[in-house]
Amino acid sequence: MEKVKEFIVDYIQREYTISEDIDIMELNYVESGYIDSMGMIQFIAVIEDEFGISFSDDELAEPDIKVVGKLINMVVKKLEEV
Amino acid sequence: MKSRLASLFYENAQKTPDKLAIWCDGKTATYKEMADLVSRYSNLLLSQGAVYGDYIAIPMNNSIESVALFFSAADLGICVVPLNPSLPLEAVKSAMQAGDIKHVIARSSFFSDCAKSGGLDIPGFAICLDKEYEDTVPFSKINEMSTNRPETDFDVKGDESLILTMTSGSTGNPKPIDISQDNKYERSMAHIRVYNITKEDSILAATPLYHSLAERLVILPLILGATSILLPRFTPAIWLKCVEEQKPTFTIAVSAQLAQILELLKKPDAPTITSFRSIVSSSALLEASVKYELIDLLKCEFHEMYGASEVSTVTDICFQTSQDKQKSVGKPFDEAQIKILRDESESDFDTECKPYEIGEIAVKSKLQCKGYYKQESMMQAAMFGDYFRTGDLGYLDEDGYLYFSGRKKELIITGAINVYPHDIDVVIGQLPEIEECAAFSYPDERLGEVVALAIVPKEDHEINLRAIKTYCARNLADFQQPHKIFVVDKLPKNTMGKLQRMSILNYVREAGLDQ
Repeated sequence: MEKVKEFIVDYIQREYTISEDIDIMELNYVESGYIDSMGMIQFIAVIEDEFGISFSDDELAEPDIKVVGKLINMVVKKLEEV
Repeated sequence: MKSRLASLFYENAQKTPDKLAIWCDGKTATYKEMADLVSRYSNLLLSQGAVYGDYIAIPMNNSIESVALFFSAADLGICVVPLNPSLPLEAVKSAMQAGDIKHVIARSSFFSDCAKSGGLDIPGFAICLDKEYEDTVPFSKINEMSTNRPETDFDVKGDESLILTMTSGSTGNPKPIDISQDNKYERSMAHIRVYNITKEDSILAATPLYHSLAERLVILPLILGATSILLPRFTPAIWLKCVEEQKPTFTIAVSAQLAQILELLKKPDAPTITSFRSIVSSSALLEASVKYELIDLLKCEFHEMYGASEVSTVTDICFQTSQDKQKSVGKPFDEAQIKILRDESESDFDTECKPYEIGEIAVKSKLQCKGYYKQESMMQAAMFGDYFRTGDLGYLDEDGYLYFSGRKKELIITGAINVYPHDIDVVIGQLPEIEECAAFSYPDERLGEVVALAIVPKEDHEINLRAIKTYCARNLADFQQPHKIFVVDKLPKNTMGKLQRMSILNYVREAGLDQ
């Protein structure tokens, strides 16, 4: 869980350090502009590569995938299934 | 002799030390604080061994520190090479080679990515912006530096390169547009004159700083003594919140952003925006309906401009004062002259078009860049005498107003970023299941245009679209990602076998593939 969290939080902060007063787990990283809709495809590909998992098209269409905490949970759940 | 750009900024800091120089993402700096930061940054670069004429690459984000770097570089006669942080590493490396990079300033994620792929081979220093990272110099060292403007023993004459803007993507040769300190100064002065910008203005920059538009919009206020408002990242909601709170009075926006902002402004709970006295739309034509609704909602002077990174802004039009020329992109700046060139194959001697005859827009301008860095032949190829061929098509009317009609060069402009389709073809063409492919421009309401891709599979090969998208995600920059992929049996070509890229859209539509 911690490793997944660290990887995802680090990636989102590739360009900008997220201010400490923001609850990062609740952050919608697309709406807040940290990753745009095109960058999203890259982001998911990088996560899939790093953890050897894959997301279905339906999962990619879920709004939850854009929220940091919920994305982390999705990845952790997939890792448990493997 | 000191750098004129840096000196103008330092003079403003002396005159109005407590005035707000810059706002970005909730952080601010007064002129005094900004001058201290610029000096510290210069001293940090000098302490690490930077010398006059060096080239420093930086995957650049929008921040106060990035703006300070432009002024430090100016003061030291150094050239900054801002890179799009989303570029894949291979593209960064080819851009760095094209720009003779000696030093790098980046965030830790950049250095760790480099380490994973064989390291970074540069002769100079590496500064890490966000934390301590292996053998890089931590940016926090800047706090130990003096706030005195460094004494230097060399002249900064003004023709030194200040910024190399990389315009090409991943595999093609990067085309570094070489902008000198004098270029930046003269471009700023021209915009100050045309848009009547004064010290009282707050100027909003809402595009990435690795793009020449935002560079202009942050340098201009600081040499004038005005205030710079720098948006950290663009979403329409962040833009609106920033405008509501910071109350900018002037901006040059890209048309794709304005269309998105309008959608938000039309919502019932949208705030009323009254701070702008003038807004300029750039980079692509704005739809007339969007234009009129924006004029109605923002209640300010509304301009449209036409230009190219190589020659800066060429024409401008104010819609309130040019009621009878609503479809024009305006008349040339005093610095610029326009010729409309007839296709050479159609005429041997009379190469200039008559009024209303469409041809290639060519521009002679005092604001023209130094050239393409170390690629003189490429610049020469783009010239017609003293005139730069823009690759755009248009015509002039009898009063000298320019009208834009389309593009001659095979270029995709998505959200104001130039994408060279050939770069994408080369990357995707490496996939074993693909016989051939071609990227092309696809119309998009939000971004103006997006990248689309037509692929011809090899015989007996299955195409997995998801796998292709993932491959693109790993090997292309974000702005190069194809939004649409069409599998076709062949690509449209002329009788000589040359790809007809401009015909692909029609081809897929006629084949019923674009549903």
